[in-house]
Amino acid sequence: MGFPVYWMITTSFKPKGDILSTNPTLLPRSFTLSNYVEAVTKEGFVRALINSLIVVFFTVTISLFVALFASIAVARMKFKGKRTYVATILLVQMLPLSALLIPIYLLLSRFNLTDKLSGVILTYLAFVLPFVIWTLRGFLVNIPAELEEAALVDGCTRPQAYRLVLFPLMAPGLVATAIFAFIQAWNEFLLAYIILSSQDNATMPIWLAGFTNRFGTDWGPLMAASTLTALPVVIFFTRIQDKIATGVTAGAVKG
Amino acid sequence: MSIGQSNISRPRKIKPWPYLLVTPSLVALGLILGYPIIKLFSLSLERYGLSEIIAGKGVFVGFGNFSEILTDKDFWTILERTLFFTFGMVAVSMIVGAWLAHLMLNMHSKIRNVLNLVLILVWAMPQLVSISVWRWLFSFEFSIVTEVINKLGFNMDKHNYFVNTLSGFLIIGGCVAWGALPFITISIYAALTQVPQDLIEAAEIDGANPRQVFRNIIFPMLLPVYVILISLSTIWDFQVFSHIWIFLDSRPSAEYYTIAIYAFQKSFGLSEYGKGAAISIVMIVALIGVTGYYLRQMMKMGDE
Repeated sequence: MGFPVYWMITTSFKPKGDILSTNPTLLPRSFTLSNYVEAVTKEGFVRALINSLIVVFFTVTISLFVALFASIAVARMKFKGKRTYVATILLVQMLPLSALLIPIYLLLSRFNLTDKLSGVILTYLAFVLPFVIWTLRGFLVNIPAELEEAALVDGCTRPQAYRLVLFPLMAPGLVATAIFAFIQAWNEFLLAYIILSSQDNATMPIWLAGFTNRFGTDWGPLMAASTLTALPVVIFFTRIQDKIATGVTAGAVKG
Repeated sequence: MSIGQSNISRPRKIKPWPYLLVTPSLVALGLILGYPIIKLFSLSLERYGLSEIIAGKGVFVGFGNFSEILTDKDFWTILERTLFFTFGMVAVSMIVGAWLAHLMLNMHSKIRNVLNLVLILVWAMPQLVSISVWRWLFSFEFSIVTEVINKLGFNMDKHNYFVNTLSGFLIIGGCVAWGALPFITISIYAALTQVPQDLIEAAEIDGANPRQVFRNIIFPMLLPVYVILISLSTIWDFQVFSHIWIFLDSRPSAEYYTIAIYAFQKSFGLSEYGKGAAISIVMIVALIGVTGYYLRQMMKMGDE
Protein backbone atom coordinates (compact mmCIF):
# COMPACT_ATOMS: atom_id res chain seq x y z
CA MET A 1 0.00 0.00 0.00
CA GLY A 2 2.83 2.33 0.77
CA PHE A 3 4.65 1.44 -2.42
CA PRO A 4 3.75 4.52 -4.47
CA VAL A 5 4.83 6.64 -1.50
CA TYR A 6 8.05 4.64 -1.25
CA TRP A 7 8.61 5.13 -4.97
CA MET A 8 8.05 8.89 -4.70
CA ILE A 9 10.47 9.28 -1.81
CA THR A 10 13.23 7.02 -3.17
CA THR A 11 13.00 8.59 -6.62
CA SER A 12 13.46 12.00 -5.07
CA PHE A 13 16.92 10.88 -3.90
CA LYS A 14 18.00 9.19 -7.12
CA PRO A 15 20.42 10.78 -9.58
CA LYS A 16 18.90 11.65 -12.96
CA GLY A 17 20.41 8.70 -14.84
CA ASP A 18 18.85 6.13 -12.48
CA ILE A 19 15.32 7.47 -12.59
CA LEU A 20 13.83 6.67 -15.98
CA SER A 21 15.58 3.38 -16.37
CA THR A 22 14.28 0.67 -18.67
CA ASN A 23 15.31 -1.86 -16.06
CA PRO A 24 14.26 -0.17 -12.81
CA THR A 25 15.31 -1.65 -9.46
CA LEU A 26 13.36 -1.74 -6.21
CA LEU A 27 16.25 -0.41 -4.13
CA PRO A 28 17.95 2.84 -5.11
CA ARG A 29 21.46 2.37 -6.46
CA SER A 30 22.85 5.72 -5.34
CA PHE A 31 21.85 8.77 -3.35
CA THR A 32 21.75 12.49 -4.12
CA LEU A 33 20.13 15.64 -2.83
CA SER A 34 20.38 17.45 -6.14
CA ASN A 35 16.69 16.96 -6.91
CA TYR A 36 15.76 18.85 -3.75
CA VAL A 37 18.15 21.65 -4.58
CA GLU A 38 16.69 21.86 -8.06
CA ALA A 39 13.10 21.80 -6.78
CA VAL A 40 13.58 24.47 -4.12
CA THR A 41 15.51 26.79 -6.41
CA LYS A 42 13.01 26.42 -9.25
CA GLU A 43 11.26 29.69 -9.92
CA GLY A 44 8.07 30.29 -7.98
CA PHE A 45 8.57 27.82 -5.12
CA VAL A 46 8.37 30.31 -2.25
CA ARG A 47 5.54 32.22 -3.92
CA ALA A 48 3.51 29.04 -4.45
CA LEU A 49 4.17 27.92 -0.89
CA ILE A 50 2.94 31.24 0.55
CA ASN A 51 -0.10 31.26 -1.76
CA SER A 52 -1.06 27.74 -0.74
CA LEU A 53 -0.68 28.57 2.93
CA ILE A 54 -2.94 31.61 2.52
CA VAL A 55 -5.59 29.59 0.68
CA VAL A 56 -5.47 26.79 3.24
CA PHE A 57 -5.61 29.13 6.22
CA PHE A 58 -8.70 31.00 5.06
CA THR A 59 -10.49 27.95 3.68
CA VAL A 60 -10.01 26.02 6.91
CA THR A 61 -10.86 28.79 9.37
CA ILE A 62 -13.84 30.23 7.50
CA SER A 63 -15.34 26.84 6.68
CA LEU A 64 -14.98 25.67 10.28
CA PHE A 65 -16.64 28.81 11.64
CA VAL A 66 -19.54 28.76 9.22
CA ALA A 67 -19.98 25.00 9.57
CA LEU A 68 -19.84 25.13 13.35
CA PHE A 69 -22.83 27.51 13.43
CA ALA A 70 -24.76 25.43 10.94
CA SER A 71 -24.01 22.13 12.64
CA ILE A 72 -25.21 23.43 16.00
CA ALA A 73 -28.51 24.36 14.39
CA VAL A 74 -28.84 20.97 12.69
CA ALA A 75 -27.73 18.84 15.63
CA ARG A 76 -29.25 20.75 18.53
CA MET A 77 -32.33 22.62 17.35
CA LYS A 78 -35.66 21.88 15.81
CA PHE A 79 -36.74 24.34 13.18
CA LYS A 80 -39.02 24.57 10.20
CA GLY A 81 -37.23 23.84 6.97
CA LYS A 82 -34.56 21.69 8.59
CA ARG A 83 -35.29 18.77 6.26
CA THR A 84 -34.92 21.01 3.23
CA TYR A 85 -31.69 22.40 4.58
CA VAL A 86 -30.24 18.94 5.23
CA ALA A 87 -31.33 17.77 1.79
CA THR A 88 -29.67 20.82 0.18
CA ILE A 89 -26.42 20.10 1.98
CA LEU A 90 -26.48 16.48 0.85
CA LEU A 91 -27.41 17.25 -2.73
CA VAL A 92 -24.75 19.91 -3.17
CA GLN A 93 -22.16 17.15 -2.67
CA MET A 94 -23.47 15.37 -5.74
CA LEU A 95 -22.78 18.15 -8.20
CA PRO A 96 -20.14 17.03 -10.67
CA LEU A 97 -17.28 19.48 -10.50
CA SER A 98 -16.40 19.05 -14.15
CA ALA A 99 -19.83 20.31 -15.19
CA LEU A 100 -19.65 23.42 -13.02
CA LEU A 101 -16.16 24.57 -13.96
CA ILE A 102 -17.15 26.95 -16.73
CA PRO A 103 -20.15 28.60 -15.05
CA ILE A 104 -18.02 29.08 -11.92
CA TYR A 105 -15.31 30.70 -13.98
CA LEU A 106 -17.84 32.99 -15.69
CA LEU A 107 -19.33 33.95 -12.34
CA LEU A 108 -15.96 34.76 -10.79
CA SER A 109 -14.87 36.78 -13.79
CA ARG A 110 -18.02 38.89 -13.58
CA PHE A 111 -17.01 39.89 -10.05
CA ASN A 112 -13.37 40.33 -10.96
CA LEU A 113 -12.28 37.40 -8.84
CA THR A 114 -10.46 35.35 -11.46
CA ASP A 115 -6.73 35.07 -11.02
CA LYS A 116 -7.18 36.04 -7.38
CA LEU A 117 -6.62 33.86 -4.35
CA SER A 118 -9.88 35.13 -2.87
CA GLY A 119 -11.74 33.60 -5.83
CA VAL A 120 -10.10 30.24 -5.14
CA ILE A 121 -10.87 30.46 -1.43
CA LEU A 122 -14.54 31.24 -2.05
CA THR A 123 -14.86 28.32 -4.45
CA TYR A 124 -13.14 25.90 -2.09
CA LEU A 125 -15.47 27.02 0.69
CA ALA A 126 -18.49 26.00 -1.34
CA PHE A 127 -17.06 22.57 -2.08
CA VAL A 128 -15.75 21.87 1.43
CA LEU A 129 -18.66 23.23 3.48
CA PRO A 130 -21.25 20.47 2.98
CA PHE A 131 -18.81 17.82 4.12
CA VAL A 132 -17.58 19.86 7.07
CA ILE A 133 -21.11 20.67 8.24
CA TRP A 134 -22.15 17.05 8.03
CA THR A 135 -19.12 15.69 9.88
CA LEU A 136 -19.32 18.30 12.62
CA ARG A 137 -22.97 17.42 13.09
CA GLY A 138 -21.87 13.81 13.54
CA PHE A 139 -19.49 14.75 16.32
CA LEU A 140 -22.04 17.03 17.96
CA VAL A 141 -24.81 14.46 18.27
CA ASN A 142 -22.42 12.24 20.22
CA ILE A 143 -22.17 14.88 22.94
CA PRO A 144 -25.19 14.68 25.27
CA ALA A 145 -27.26 17.87 25.23
CA GLU A 146 -27.73 17.48 28.99
CA LEU A 147 -24.22 18.87 29.50
CA GLU A 148 -25.05 22.27 28.01
CA GLU A 149 -28.47 22.29 29.57
CA ALA A 150 -26.93 21.78 32.97
CA ALA A 151 -24.77 24.84 32.26
CA LEU A 152 -27.91 26.80 31.28
CA VAL A 153 -29.55 25.84 34.53
CA ASP A 154 -26.46 26.99 36.37
CA GLY A 155 -27.02 30.44 34.89
CA CYS A 156 -24.94 30.44 31.72
CA THR A 157 -26.29 32.14 28.63
CA ARG A 158 -26.54 29.95 25.54
CA PRO A 159 -23.37 31.32 23.89
CA GLN A 160 -21.56 30.88 27.20
CA ALA A 161 -22.75 27.30 27.49
CA TYR A 162 -21.45 26.60 24.00
CA ARG A 163 -18.15 28.31 24.59
CA LEU A 164 -17.42 26.81 27.99
CA VAL A 165 -18.96 23.36 27.71
CA LEU A 166 -19.60 22.34 24.13
CA PHE A 167 -16.60 23.66 22.20
CA PRO A 168 -13.94 22.01 24.36
CA LEU A 169 -15.73 18.70 23.96
CA MET A 170 -15.92 19.23 20.22
CA ALA A 171 -12.18 19.78 19.83
CA PRO A 172 -11.46 16.34 18.32
CA GLY A 173 -14.25 16.76 15.80
CA LEU A 174 -13.11 20.22 14.85
CA VAL A 175 -9.60 18.94 14.39
CA ALA A 176 -10.62 15.97 12.26
CA THR A 177 -12.66 18.15 9.95
CA ALA A 178 -9.89 20.75 9.85
CA ILE A 179 -7.56 18.09 8.48
CA PHE A 180 -10.00 17.22 5.76
CA ALA A 181 -10.43 20.85 4.72
CA PHE A 182 -6.67 21.36 4.94
CA ILE A 183 -5.90 18.48 2.58
CA GLN A 184 -8.61 19.49 0.12
CA ALA A 185 -7.36 23.05 -0.10
CA TRP A 186 -3.70 22.08 -0.10
CA ASN A 187 -3.95 19.51 -2.89
CA GLU A 188 -6.76 20.75 -5.13
CA PHE A 189 -5.64 21.21 -8.71
CA LEU A 190 -8.42 21.52 -11.27
CA LEU A 191 -10.28 24.55 -9.88
CA ALA A 192 -7.09 26.41 -9.04
CA TYR A 193 -5.77 25.70 -12.52
CA ILE A 194 -8.88 27.16 -14.15
CA ILE A 195 -9.26 30.18 -11.86
CA LEU A 196 -5.64 31.27 -11.50
CA SER A 197 -3.70 32.25 -14.58
CA SER A 198 -0.61 34.23 -13.56
CA GLN A 199 2.45 32.56 -12.11
CA ASP A 200 2.45 34.94 -9.16
CA ASN A 201 -0.80 33.45 -7.94
CA ALA A 202 0.01 29.78 -8.51
CA THR A 203 -0.65 27.38 -5.64
CA MET A 204 1.55 24.36 -4.91
CA PRO A 205 -0.27 21.84 -7.13
CA ILE A 206 -0.11 24.23 -10.09
CA TRP A 207 3.56 24.83 -9.47
CA LEU A 208 4.05 21.04 -9.32
CA ALA A 209 2.33 20.63 -12.66
CA GLY A 210 5.05 22.88 -14.09
CA PHE A 211 7.51 19.97 -13.87
CA THR A 212 5.63 18.29 -16.67
CA ASN A 213 5.75 19.86 -20.11
CA ARG A 214 5.36 18.59 -23.65
CA PHE A 215 8.83 17.06 -23.57
CA GLY A 216 7.91 14.84 -20.64
CA THR A 217 8.12 14.87 -16.88
CA ASP A 218 11.14 15.94 -14.87
CA TRP A 219 10.65 13.10 -12.37
CA GLY A 220 13.51 13.69 -9.94
CA PRO A 221 12.71 17.30 -8.99
CA LEU A 222 8.96 16.59 -9.22
CA MET A 223 9.22 13.77 -6.69
CA ALA A 224 11.41 15.92 -4.44
CA ALA A 225 8.93 18.79 -4.66
CA SER A 226 5.99 16.43 -4.04
CA THR A 227 7.66 15.02 -0.97
CA LEU A 228 8.14 18.57 0.28
CA THR A 229 4.48 19.35 -0.48
CA ALA A 230 3.28 16.32 1.45
CA LEU A 231 5.41 17.23 4.44
CA PRO A 232 3.22 20.02 5.91
CA VAL A 233 0.17 17.74 5.79
CA VAL A 234 2.04 15.00 7.61
CA ILE A 235 3.29 17.39 10.28
CA PHE A 236 -0.12 19.02 10.71
CA PHE A 237 -1.80 15.65 10.93
CA THR A 238 0.55 13.89 13.33
CA ARG A 239 0.64 16.84 15.73
CA ILE A 240 -3.11 17.02 15.73
CA GLN A 241 -3.71 13.31 16.01
CA ASP A 242 -2.32 13.24 19.53
CA LYS A 243 -5.02 15.75 20.39
CA ILE A 244 -7.70 13.59 18.82
CA ALA A 245 -6.54 10.61 20.82
CA THR A 246 -6.61 12.52 24.11
CA GLY A 247 -9.97 13.98 23.20
CA VAL A 248 -11.41 10.55 22.65
CA THR A 249 -10.00 9.05 25.83
CA ALA A 250 -10.98 12.04 27.96
CA GLY A 251 -14.24 10.21 28.62
CA ALA A 252 -16.26 13.38 28.95
CA VAL A 253 -19.26 11.61 27.48
CA LYS A 254 -19.47 9.08 30.27
CA GLY A 255 -20.74 9.81 33.71
CA MET B 1 -33.96 13.90 31.88
CA SER B 2 -36.37 16.32 33.48
CA ILE B 3 -34.44 19.19 31.94
CA GLY B 4 -34.85 17.78 28.45
CA GLN B 5 -38.58 17.32 28.94
CA SER B 6 -39.22 20.82 30.23
CA ASN B 7 -37.50 22.04 27.08
CA ILE B 8 -39.93 20.25 24.81
CA SER B 9 -43.05 21.40 26.61
CA ARG B 10 -42.08 25.05 26.37
CA PRO B 11 -44.69 27.02 24.34
CA ARG B 12 -43.71 27.19 20.67
CA LYS B 13 -42.76 30.43 19.01
CA ILE B 14 -40.55 31.05 16.05
CA LYS B 15 -37.00 31.12 17.30
CA PRO B 16 -34.54 33.16 15.24
CA TRP B 17 -31.44 31.30 16.41
CA PRO B 18 -31.40 28.28 14.11
CA TYR B 19 -32.00 30.46 11.08
CA LEU B 20 -29.23 32.86 12.04
CA LEU B 21 -26.86 29.94 12.49
CA VAL B 22 -27.71 28.35 9.16
CA THR B 23 -27.69 31.53 7.09
CA PRO B 24 -23.91 31.98 6.61
CA SER B 25 -23.55 28.52 5.11
CA LEU B 26 -26.49 29.05 2.78
CA VAL B 27 -25.14 32.42 1.69
CA ALA B 28 -21.72 30.92 0.95
CA LEU B 29 -23.18 28.02 -1.02
CA GLY B 30 -25.69 30.20 -2.83
CA LEU B 31 -23.13 32.83 -3.81
CA ILE B 32 -20.75 30.35 -5.38
CA LEU B 33 -22.99 27.58 -6.63
CA GLY B 34 -26.34 29.28 -7.20
CA TYR B 35 -25.60 30.78 -10.58
CA PRO B 36 -23.59 27.78 -11.89
CA ILE B 37 -26.43 25.39 -11.02
CA ILE B 38 -29.06 27.54 -12.69
CA LYS B 39 -26.76 27.93 -15.68
CA LEU B 40 -26.29 24.15 -15.87
CA PHE B 41 -30.04 23.60 -15.93
CA SER B 42 -30.74 26.28 -18.50
CA LEU B 43 -27.90 25.03 -20.73
CA SER B 44 -29.32 21.52 -20.66
CA LEU B 45 -32.48 22.84 -22.34
CA GLU B 46 -30.61 24.58 -25.11
CA ARG B 47 -28.69 23.76 -28.22
CA TYR B 48 -25.39 25.41 -27.46
CA GLY B 49 -22.61 24.64 -29.90
CA LEU B 50 -19.92 26.66 -31.66
CA SER B 51 -22.31 28.84 -33.65
CA GLU B 52 -24.30 29.60 -30.51
CA ILE B 53 -21.11 30.57 -28.67
CA ILE B 54 -20.35 33.08 -31.40
CA ALA B 55 -23.91 34.39 -31.29
CA GLY B 56 -23.64 34.42 -27.49
CA LYS B 57 -27.05 32.85 -27.09
CA GLY B 58 -28.33 29.28 -27.08
CA VAL B 59 -31.36 27.98 -28.94
CA PHE B 60 -34.09 26.64 -26.68
CA VAL B 61 -34.87 23.01 -27.51
CA GLY B 62 -36.90 21.94 -24.46
CA PHE B 63 -36.10 18.39 -23.45
CA GLY B 64 -34.52 17.60 -26.82
CA ASN B 65 -31.06 16.98 -25.38
CA PHE B 66 -32.46 14.61 -22.79
CA SER B 67 -34.51 12.52 -25.21
CA GLU B 68 -31.50 12.29 -27.50
CA ILE B 69 -29.25 11.06 -24.69
CA LEU B 70 -31.75 8.59 -23.26
CA THR B 71 -32.35 6.99 -26.66
CA ASP B 72 -28.63 6.76 -27.36
CA LYS B 73 -27.36 3.18 -26.94
CA ASP B 74 -23.85 4.35 -26.07
CA PHE B 75 -25.20 6.26 -23.12
CA TRP B 76 -26.68 3.15 -21.49
CA THR B 77 -23.48 1.16 -22.02
CA ILE B 78 -21.50 3.98 -20.44
CA LEU B 79 -23.90 4.31 -17.53
CA GLU B 80 -23.74 0.56 -16.86
CA ARG B 81 -19.95 0.62 -17.03
CA THR B 82 -19.80 3.59 -14.65
CA LEU B 83 -22.06 1.83 -12.16
CA PHE B 84 -19.96 -1.36 -12.22
CA PHE B 85 -16.75 0.62 -11.88
CA THR B 86 -18.15 2.69 -9.00
CA PHE B 87 -19.51 -0.33 -7.19
CA GLY B 88 -16.17 -2.12 -7.49
CA MET B 89 -14.15 0.79 -6.17
CA VAL B 90 -16.53 1.50 -3.28
CA ALA B 91 -16.66 -2.17 -2.28
CA VAL B 92 -12.89 -2.66 -2.38
CA SER B 93 -12.03 0.54 -0.55
CA MET B 94 -14.71 0.00 2.12
CA ILE B 95 -13.78 -3.64 2.77
CA VAL B 96 -10.04 -3.04 2.87
CA GLY B 97 -10.53 0.16 4.89
CA ALA B 98 -12.74 -1.53 7.49
CA TRP B 99 -10.34 -4.47 7.68
CA LEU B 100 -7.35 -2.16 8.23
CA ALA B 101 -9.21 -0.16 10.86
CA HIS B 102 -10.04 -3.31 12.82
CA LEU B 103 -6.43 -4.46 12.52
CA MET B 104 -5.26 -1.10 13.82
CA LEU B 105 -7.40 -1.44 16.90
CA ASN B 106 -5.61 -4.59 18.04
CA MET B 107 -2.16 -3.68 16.82
CA HIS B 108 0.94 -2.96 18.80
CA SER B 109 1.02 0.82 19.08
CA LYS B 110 4.38 1.07 17.29
CA ILE B 111 3.11 -0.79 14.23
CA ARG B 112 -0.07 1.24 14.36
CA ASN B 113 1.93 4.46 14.26
CA VAL B 114 3.81 3.26 11.20
CA LEU B 115 0.60 2.25 9.43
CA ASN B 116 -0.89 5.58 10.41
CA LEU B 117 2.05 7.44 8.93
CA VAL B 118 1.78 5.49 5.68
CA LEU B 119 -1.93 6.28 5.48
CA ILE B 120 -1.27 9.96 6.05
CA LEU B 121 1.48 9.98 3.44
CA VAL B 122 -0.86 8.37 0.92
CA TRP B 123 -3.44 11.01 1.76
CA ALA B 124 -0.92 13.82 1.64
CA MET B 125 0.41 12.96 -1.80
CA PRO B 126 -1.02 15.55 -4.19
CA GLN B 127 -3.55 13.73 -6.38
CA LEU B 128 -1.92 14.83 -9.59
CA VAL B 129 1.37 13.37 -8.39
CA SER B 130 -0.03 10.11 -7.06
CA ILE B 131 -1.82 9.41 -10.32
CA SER B 132 1.35 10.17 -12.27
CA VAL B 133 3.37 7.82 -10.07
CA TRP B 134 0.81 5.03 -10.51
CA ARG B 135 0.88 5.60 -14.21
CA TRP B 136 4.63 5.36 -14.16
CA LEU B 137 4.53 2.11 -12.13
CA PHE B 138 2.41 0.57 -14.88
CA SER B 139 3.93 2.36 -17.86
CA PHE B 140 4.88 0.62 -21.07
CA GLU B 141 8.61 1.28 -20.99
CA PHE B 142 9.71 2.07 -17.47
CA SER B 143 7.44 -0.11 -15.37
CA ILE B 144 8.84 -1.43 -12.11
CA VAL B 145 5.81 -3.72 -11.84
CA THR B 146 6.55 -5.43 -15.15
CA GLU B 147 10.20 -5.66 -14.12
CA VAL B 148 9.33 -7.41 -10.85
CA ILE B 149 6.91 -9.79 -12.60
CA ASN B 150 9.65 -10.62 -15.11
CA LYS B 151 12.16 -11.18 -12.31
CA LEU B 152 9.73 -13.64 -10.75
CA GLY B 153 10.03 -15.73 -13.87
CA PHE B 154 6.92 -14.77 -15.82
CA ASN B 155 7.95 -13.30 -19.12
CA MET B 156 5.82 -10.26 -19.88
CA ASP B 157 8.60 -8.25 -21.54
CA LYS B 158 7.17 -4.81 -22.20
CA HIS B 159 3.52 -5.00 -21.36
CA ASN B 160 0.83 -2.44 -22.14
CA TYR B 161 -1.72 -2.84 -19.37
CA PHE B 162 -4.26 -0.59 -21.01
CA VAL B 163 -4.87 -2.48 -24.24
CA ASN B 164 -7.12 -4.79 -22.25
CA THR B 165 -9.84 -2.61 -20.75
CA LEU B 166 -10.37 -4.99 -17.84
CA SER B 167 -6.77 -4.73 -16.64
CA GLY B 168 -6.85 -1.02 -17.43
CA PHE B 169 -9.92 -0.45 -15.29
CA LEU B 170 -8.48 -2.65 -12.54
CA ILE B 171 -5.38 -0.46 -12.36
CA ILE B 172 -7.28 2.83 -12.53
CA GLY B 173 -9.84 1.58 -10.00
CA GLY B 174 -7.02 0.32 -7.80
CA CYS B 175 -5.48 3.77 -7.84
CA VAL B 176 -8.82 5.40 -6.90
CA ALA B 177 -9.54 2.90 -4.12
CA TRP B 178 -6.00 3.25 -2.84
CA GLY B 179 -6.37 7.02 -2.68
CA ALA B 180 -9.65 6.67 -0.76
CA LEU B 181 -8.23 4.24 1.82
CA PRO B 182 -6.71 6.75 4.26
CA PHE B 183 -9.93 8.70 4.71
CA ILE B 184 -12.04 5.54 5.10
CA THR B 185 -9.63 3.72 7.39
CA ILE B 186 -8.98 6.69 9.65
CA SER B 187 -12.70 7.49 9.94
CA ILE B 188 -13.66 3.91 10.81
CA TYR B 189 -10.76 3.63 13.23
CA ALA B 190 -11.79 6.86 14.97
CA ALA B 191 -15.35 5.55 15.27
CA LEU B 192 -14.09 2.20 16.61
CA THR B 193 -12.12 3.87 19.37
CA GLN B 194 -15.33 5.61 20.48
CA VAL B 195 -17.14 2.34 21.17
CA PRO B 196 -17.17 2.17 24.98
CA GLN B 197 -14.83 -0.60 26.08
CA ASP B 198 -16.90 -1.51 29.16
CA LEU B 199 -19.87 -2.34 26.91
CA ILE B 200 -17.76 -4.91 25.06
CA GLU B 201 -16.34 -6.29 28.30
CA ALA B 202 -19.80 -6.64 29.78
CA ALA B 203 -20.93 -8.58 26.72
CA GLU B 204 -17.89 -10.81 26.91
CA ILE B 205 -18.55 -11.54 30.57
CA ASP B 206 -22.07 -12.51 29.58
CA GLY B 207 -20.54 -15.05 27.22
CA ALA B 208 -20.71 -13.32 23.83
CA ASN B 209 -18.16 -14.52 21.27
CA PRO B 210 -16.18 -12.00 19.19
CA ARG B 211 -18.53 -12.36 16.23
CA GLN B 212 -21.58 -11.66 18.40
CA VAL B 213 -19.82 -8.69 19.95
CA PHE B 214 -19.17 -7.34 16.48
CA ARG B 215 -22.67 -7.98 15.19
CA ASN B 216 -24.62 -6.81 18.20
CA ILE B 217 -22.50 -4.02 19.63
CA ILE B 218 -19.80 -2.72 17.33
CA PHE B 219 -21.68 -2.89 14.04
CA PRO B 220 -24.83 -1.02 15.17
CA MET B 221 -22.68 1.72 16.70
CA LEU B 222 -20.63 2.03 13.53
CA LEU B 223 -23.60 1.95 11.20
CA PRO B 224 -23.93 5.75 10.89
CA VAL B 225 -20.25 6.02 9.98
CA TYR B 226 -20.59 3.25 7.38
CA VAL B 227 -23.64 4.96 5.88
CA ILE B 228 -21.80 8.26 5.53
CA LEU B 229 -18.61 6.69 4.17
CA ILE B 230 -20.42 4.51 1.64
CA SER B 231 -22.53 7.37 0.34
CA LEU B 232 -19.62 9.79 0.12
CA SER B 233 -17.42 7.18 -1.61
CA THR B 234 -20.19 6.41 -4.06
CA ILE B 235 -20.58 10.09 -4.87
CA TRP B 236 -16.84 10.61 -5.29
CA ASP B 237 -16.13 7.40 -7.21
CA PHE B 238 -19.07 7.91 -9.53
CA GLN B 239 -17.56 11.21 -10.62
CA VAL B 240 -13.99 9.98 -11.05
CA PHE B 241 -12.49 12.01 -13.82
CA SER B 242 -8.82 12.96 -13.39
CA HIS B 243 -7.67 9.37 -12.88
CA ILE B 244 -9.03 8.12 -16.19
CA TRP B 245 -8.02 11.31 -17.91
CA ILE B 246 -4.38 11.27 -16.74
CA PHE B 247 -3.85 7.49 -17.00
CA LEU B 248 -4.94 7.54 -20.63
CA ASP B 249 -2.96 10.59 -21.64
CA SER B 250 -5.95 13.00 -21.92
CA ARG B 251 -7.43 11.00 -24.77
CA PRO B 252 -9.26 7.96 -23.40
CA SER B 253 -10.67 5.69 -26.08
CA ALA B 254 -14.43 5.09 -26.16
CA GLU B 255 -14.16 1.81 -24.19
CA TYR B 256 -12.84 3.81 -21.25
CA TYR B 257 -15.65 6.36 -21.20
CA THR B 258 -17.41 6.75 -17.90
CA ILE B 259 -20.28 9.16 -17.60
CA ALA B 260 -18.09 12.00 -16.28
CA ILE B 261 -15.66 11.60 -19.19
CA TYR B 262 -18.58 11.32 -21.62
CA ALA B 263 -20.12 14.60 -20.40
CA PHE B 264 -16.75 16.32 -20.59
CA GLN B 265 -16.07 15.01 -24.09
CA LYS B 266 -19.47 16.15 -25.35
CA SER B 267 -18.92 19.63 -23.91
CA PHE B 268 -15.28 20.31 -24.62
CA GLY B 269 -14.35 17.74 -27.24
CA LEU B 270 -17.35 18.21 -29.50
CA SER B 271 -18.41 21.66 -28.25
CA GLU B 272 -21.95 20.49 -27.62
CA TYR B 273 -22.31 22.29 -24.33
CA GLY B 274 -26.08 21.86 -24.10
CA LYS B 275 -25.80 18.11 -24.42
CA GLY B 276 -22.89 17.99 -22.00
CA ALA B 277 -24.96 19.86 -19.42
CA ALA B 278 -27.89 17.48 -19.98
CA ILE B 279 -25.60 14.47 -19.39
CA SER B 280 -24.37 16.05 -16.18
CA ILE B 281 -27.93 16.42 -14.97
CA VAL B 282 -28.76 12.82 -15.88
CA MET B 283 -25.63 11.91 -13.96
CA ILE B 284 -26.85 13.75 -10.85
CA VAL B 285 -30.23 12.03 -11.13
CA ALA B 286 -28.55 8.62 -11.49
CA LEU B 287 -26.41 9.38 -8.49
CA ILE B 288 -29.45 10.30 -6.42
CA GLY B 289 -31.03 7.03 -7.52
CA VAL B 290 -27.99 4.98 -6.55
CA THR B 291 -27.46 6.65 -3.20
CA GLY B 292 -31.19 7.03 -2.48
CA TYR B 293 -31.22 4.54 0.35
CA TYR B 294 -28.24 6.13 2.07
CA LEU B 295 -29.59 9.62 1.50
CA ARG B 296 -32.80 8.71 3.26
CA GLN B 297 -30.81 7.24 6.14
CA MET B 298 -28.79 10.42 6.37
CA MET B 299 -31.90 12.59 6.23
CA LYS B 300 -33.32 10.57 9.10
CA MET B 301 -30.12 11.09 11.05
CA GLY B 302 -30.41 14.80 10.36
CA ASP B 303 -33.89 14.77 11.84
CA GLU B 304 -32.86 13.32 15.15
